[in-house]
Amino acid sequence: MTNALIIDDEPAIRSALTRVLQHAGFSVRTAANGNEGLQALQTGETDIVIADIIMPGKNGVETIAAIRAAFPAIRIVAISGGGNFDIAAYKPGSITTTAYLAAAQKAGAHALLTKPFRTQDIIAAINTALNTGFSTGAHESLP
Amino acid sequence: MERVTAPIARRIALAVIAMHAILLPALLYGLYAVVSNSLTEIFIHHVRTLSRNLAVELELGDSLDSPKRLADVLDLAILNGDGIYAELLDDGQSVRSDLNSAGLQWPGRQDYQFTFDDQPAYFIELPIVRSGHAASFRLGFDKRPTLAQIQATKKRICLVLLIYLTIALAVAVRFGFGLARPVIQLQRSARRIASGDYAQSLRLNTGFRELHDLGRDLENMRSALVSVNDQLLREIRDKEAAEDQRAHLEVRLQHRQRLETVGTLAGGVAHEFNNMLLPIVLYTEAALADTGTRADVRGDLREVLASAFRAKEVVEKILRFSSVAGMPELMWIPLEPSVHEALRLFAALVPPTVVVRTRLDSCGRRVRADAGLVIQMIMNLCTNGYQSMDGADGVLTVGLRDEHRSEADGRGLPVGDYVVLTVTDTGQGMDTPTLERIFEPFFTTREVGRGTGLGLSVVHGIAESFGASIFVDSQRGQGTTMQVYFPAEPVAVTRTMELHHD
Repeated sequence: MTNALIIDDEPAIRSALTRVLQHAGFSVRTAANGNEGLQALQTGETDIVIADIIMPGKNGVETIAAIRAAFPAIRIVAISGGGNFDIAAYKPGSITTTAYLAAAQKAGAHALLTKPFRTQDIIAAINTALNTGFSTGAHESLP
Repeated sequence: MERVTAPIARRIALAVIAMHAILLPALLYGLYAVVSNSLTEIFIHHVRTLSRNLAVELELGDSLDSPKRLADVLDLAILNGDGIYAELLDDGQSVRSDLNSAGLQWPGRQDYQFTFDDQPAYFIELPIVRSGHAASFRLGFDKRPTLAQIQATKKRICLVLLIYLTIALAVAVRFGFGLARPVIQLQRSARRIASGDYAQSLRLNTGFRELHDLGRDLENMRSALVSVNDQLLREIRDKEAAEDQRAHLEVRLQHRQRLETVGTLAGGVAHEFNNMLLPIVLYTEAALADTGTRADVRGDLREVLASAFRAKEVVEKILRFSSVAGMPELMWIPLEPSVHEALRLFAALVPPTVVVRTRLDSCGRRVRADAGLVIQMIMNLCTNGYQSMDGADGVLTVGLRDEHRSEADGRGLPVGDYVVLTVTDTGQGMDTPTLERIFEPFFTTREVGRGTGLGLSVVHGIAESFGASIFVDSQRGQGTTMQVYFPAEPVAVTRTMELHHD
């Protein structure tokens, strides 16, 4: 069984993701922010982390970087709410998910997903992340 | 203050007339006296010499004495000179010349002075000795030719003086007008200048040195004043232009800030909505996946899912709209006014421990940019600079310079002309790992939508939207220099634009 950890500050998202992932056969744990997530990783077996980017306390980008440093084997899917713009569309003054996700990818995320997404999308993203070879999270993976 | 009475020319003419009214009679009198004295003295000298010669002849003629001889001598006295009367009184006997003027009588005394009376003759009586006894030789000379000569001379003097007076008056009037003309010219010029025609020259076309010098001095003063005036006008125009430009920049900045607010709001709304839509989608799909769900409920759930995706599209549209609205409006602008405006705004934020300096060496070539964004960029760079000083004393230097890159270097800048904006701080500086990440979004900020809190990532985004490139030079403890390379406007384009302005 694949062990998943969901890190998101929204309780409704945590529970909804838990519901669909459990239904898909994952063992699921949740954390409300980055620090909680890192603690959870210390205590149990984890194969994949689904991490939100914008969170109070330790944000997603920092959390992903910390996970990659401490647990290089763990795969990470970064998720964030907002439009689905190309990185090139990033302009000053407009807050886009793309910008966050780009930062998340730089920090070492293996797959990226914009909210809202369908169940099949998150399953596919998790599979992509799990099947990706070891990623250094280095900058060359930026589009 | 002197009373204003008459024009210069009339005054001079009146002065000349008044002067000659006193001078000319005196001159006339003096000349007349000299002439008449000379003429009368010549007359007296002449007649007395003649009389003495005749008397000598009478005395010597004693031996030849005869009545005929005596009459001849007396006649001779009249024929040889201007005599009109001759008489010898000898021993009670009176012998007169037959040539004596008719009716002319011895007046009973001889003349010593030339008198201007009705008497036609000047009488002389000479005592002589004839045949051993005393006799008296009396002669009378005609005064009228001398009198006539004196009168004629008097007339000539009068005529000469009259001609002199006329010439003097003409010269005076001419002199007066000559003096008045430049003064009038000066007056006209002064009035024209007073009415606003500052180009009017005050130089005088005159032969009078003082007036010429006065005109030259006034002209020097006028041109100095005109140049001061021009400079003041220029300064006022420049100031007005600077004010206009500042007002324009403020409008641009406010516009930009409104767009940013809209973008921030839209971003925040999108984030919230997407977070709410995700559980809707996932739970609905979970319910649909549940084999126990009734067929009619399944239909309802598909409607929920469809609505959720429509809502997602709406959120995307809002984001897209705010993103398009927030696109920079690029135009060719000089950077210097934006630097001044940004520093003016920044001055309100910066603590007194930080000294802000400028080094504006660019010749003002324009770059393609959005003034509001340039101001935001400079303010963000400055904020970053002074924050790196951590409250300590420090110097923040904002500079502009022109740079020509003739060959590509390792930094990937194309060959060409650039205007380079530099912001240098004396803060803590950064190590290499930090340097590599400073432009990442939210690298230094964790909050969403904190205005310009996007910091250097905003600077990076702005620079990219202008086609400008940012370079950072920093070492820990050595301060930081940020350089933004703006591609400069091609020279040919500048010319064309200027032509359009004309």
